Amino acid sequence: MRGVRTRLWVAVAAAVASLLFAGCGGSGSTASSGKPAAGGSATYAIDTAPTCFDLHVNAQDVTAEIGRNVVDSLVSAAPDGTFHPWLASSWQITPDLRSFTFHLRTGVTFSDGTPFDAAAVKANFDRIANPATKSRYAASLLGPYTGTQVVDARTVTVRFSRAFAPFLPAASTAYLGFYSPKTLAANADKLCGGGPVMVGTGPFTFERYTKNQSIVLRRNPAYRWPADGSRHVGPAYLDTVTFRILPENSVRVGALQSRQADIARALPPVNVSAVRADRRLSVVRANQPGEVYSIYLNTTRAPFDDVRVRRAVQLGVDIDADVRTVYFGQYDRAWSPLSPTSPGYDSALVNTWRFDPAAAGRLLDQAGWTGRDAQGFRTKGGKRLTLVWPLPPREIIREQRDVLGQAFQADLKKIGIEVTRPGLDLGEYATRGAAGEFQMSDLAWTRFDPDILRLFFNSASRPPSGQNASFLHDADVDAWTLSGAATTDQARRAQFYRQVQQRVVTQAAVVPVYVETTLLGVNRRVHDLGIDPNGWTSFHDVWVTGG
Amino acid sequence: MATLERSAPPPAGPGLVPAAPTGRRSAGQSARLVLRAVVHRLVAAAVVVLGAATLAFLGLALLPGDPVARLLGPVTTASPAVRAQIRHDYLFDRPVAVQYLHYLDSLVHLRMGESYQLQQPVSALLADALGPTAQLAGAALALALVGALVVAVATAGRRRGWRAAATVVELVAVSTPSFWLGIVLLTIFSFHFRIFPVAGADSVSSLVLPAITLALPVGGVLSQVLREGLETALAEPFVITARARGLRESAVRMRHAVRHAALPLVTLTGWLTGTLLGGAVPVETVFGRPGVGALVLDAVLSRDMPVVMAVVVFSALLFVVLSTLVDLVYLAVDPRLRTVAVAV
Repeated sequence: MRGVRTRLWVAVAAAVASLLFAGCGGSGSTASSGKPAAGGSATYAIDTAPTCFDLHVNAQDVTAEIGRNVVDSLVSAAPDGTFHPWLASSWQITPDLRSFTFHLRTGVTFSDGTPFDAAAVKANFDRIANPATKSRYAASLLGPYTGTQVVDARTVTVRFSRAFAPFLPAASTAYLGFYSPKTLAANADKLCGGGPVMVGTGPFTFERYTKNQSIVLRRNPAYRWPADGSRHVGPAYLDTVTFRILPENSVRVGALQSRQADIARALPPVNVSAVRADRRLSVVRANQPGEVYSIYLNTTRAPFDDVRVRRAVQLGVDIDADVRTVYFGQYDRAWSPLSPTSPGYDSALVNTWRFDPAAAGRLLDQAGWTGRDAQGFRTKGGKRLTLVWPLPPREIIREQRDVLGQAFQADLKKIGIEVTRPGLDLGEYATRGAAGEFQMSDLAWTRFDPDILRLFFNSASRPPSGQNASFLHDADVDAWTLSGAATTDQARRAQFYRQVQQRVVTQAAVVPVYVETTLLGVNRRVHDLGIDPNGWTSFHDVWVTGG
Repeated sequence: MATLERSAPPPAGPGLVPAAPTGRRSAGQSARLVLRAVVHRLVAAAVVVLGAATLAFLGLALLPGDPVARLLGPVTTASPAVRAQIRHDYLFDRPVAVQYLHYLDSLVHLRMGESYQLQQPVSALLADALGPTAQLAGAALALALVGALVVAVATAGRRRGWRAAATVVELVAVSTPSFWLGIVLLTIFSFHFRIFPVAGADSVSSLVLPAITLALPVGGVLSQVLREGLETALAEPFVITARARGLRESAVRMRHAVRHAALPLVTLTGWLTGTLLGGAVPVETVFGRPGVGALVLDAVLSRDMPVVMAVVVFSALLFVVLSTLVDLVYLAVDPRLRTVAVAV
């Protein structure tokens, strides 16, 4: 679900800084003016272990966060939505956007000595597309893939059955990264387990995985092919990077504060001020791109088949106050379903739909919900205005979203709307949700490319095929999201995606809530820790001082 | 499974006056009786394991909703082709009865299948997890036993103040959630004093805090049971005999009374196994240790059914084996039971 990362540090440092740190209340990057020194190690406390390390199979963020250091991609993306050479030194795209020809960099080898060539590209893409691989995410990034043709050892052509502009952003993700053909032939079924079988061309090799305890990566001494614009070209500075798996928030923070971890991921907002107060620590904060955390209003299910009722819900929740209270001011409220750090974000939506309970009440009156029952809820024809918003199964609730939901429930009660939140098992949640039985559902999805809007609002993406939980069927939105996927012209794409964002917000198909935010606690001995546009950390440029 | 019927104890304790078995049977008769008991025990064990396996299967099979959707979770873009592949590979497209028979067949052949999420053989995952958990459980059990023994021997039948204090400590130990206790211990001894590492299972020092966390509630219960037994034993006539022979109080307690009081502890083994296995779940999570607890927690959260079922069956087996061992230990410790046991 994560998209793209960049290493274009020199070229885009200023842009990154303005995007990532604007309005963050003095958070710091760990960029440093000192001279990098090779050697040493860093320990990174992470909150979850991947269920599966195979990038071609699994969709978890943490799989890509770790795998990114082990595999490289054809191209790299910059925050402005442009693409730059990495394992491909150049490429041509046919005008119909159905055929992408890449000229591969020379001298690149996998860490098992196998050369990286056109056959390796074909072996990897074919594996991802094969249903037997049971890919839960990477295969969808290949979209209408029809095959890869090896033109010669250094040239490949990837073909699609229809125009597919999202391929370049997809090709820049770790999910479409490359394993050595030798390991694919011998160990394809063992890649999920991680460890040395995961052979890539990346700056680190995967030394070992101790289940539920740690992941150790070791520097690849032969590495000299980072993406164009990287801070440095040679091998990584660190000898090893150890990911420590500490799911308990207080334990992760304690490990950081007691110097047993150099970096802690998923810093709970409540702990940010304490970490910031420690002179030896800093907090790095970055908005994640993609679909922000939003509530989707099912446009086909009564009473939400009336746009006035949907609009009333959109105006009736006090997002500013609720998000600030629950997340201690660390997360930004959202105005659009697309994150401000995704290309094509429409900033014109800011402040266009502020909290207005009086207006919400008037809309409900107009829609005929004028009666009141004994408990103060609105009624129409003797029926109470009730909305069903199932609570996601406990194991997938993150970031206290259940608490935030309670605040929204209370807000809506004040304007006479009852929201019920039944707790369901995941199978029932997914099955009944796909059948359109609920009025509301919530989700966030991190991906750099604004094509994510097609996954959420194109009518072909209605569940179970996609994530269009609004069950929106709008001919314009369909056309715009398809047009956006059929051009590589940044300005034209942005124009299409701005129209999509405006339409889905004014039609109240969605209530954007907050921008998902990466919060890292970092010891000041760690330098040049890069956060890419995805909120992923990259260790190629990282160096440490003081042992 | 067979349980031991304990007849009313003879007036004197074991070890002092050996109970004379009445009416010895011939060797052939005895062998047949032992064989019958063993067969009986094996059948009972099979029934328990089959029951556990069936309940686990039914519990999961009867969950509402699409198993593929449950397996994939909400955040996926798996295509219909991939979904069909999963449905086919994991037999979700077959009737539940067929799935059940297939499951039983693999169980009988000791094939535990492949994890849905990790795509690795469940047997390998379980084998990897057993070592660290056995270490943790063993260390915790040793700590709990030693602690309970010291506290119980020191306080049984003593002055009211000491006894009351020990009771309060035991109650607190039993009722403290190990999740919370683990975090408190970490905060004090790892984050503040930095004596022990925060997490992992790669050194002896990393075992100390988790073992204490897991041992405390167990030790609290053992200590209570042991003191109760000690106090009963100390009131027995053989203690008076021992004292009359001029033994020191410590010798009376350690050499005679403890042996007597230890019997109920053996009965608790089943409960202990459950507590140590179940208790390992939060402890392994808090301390970031590998092990069975962490494995089963992940499996439940990621709806990894083959792993969940394997752990259920494994636990059932473990209970059966342990309770058989307990019965054998009884026979060894208490000669009065030997004739009764084979007649079950």
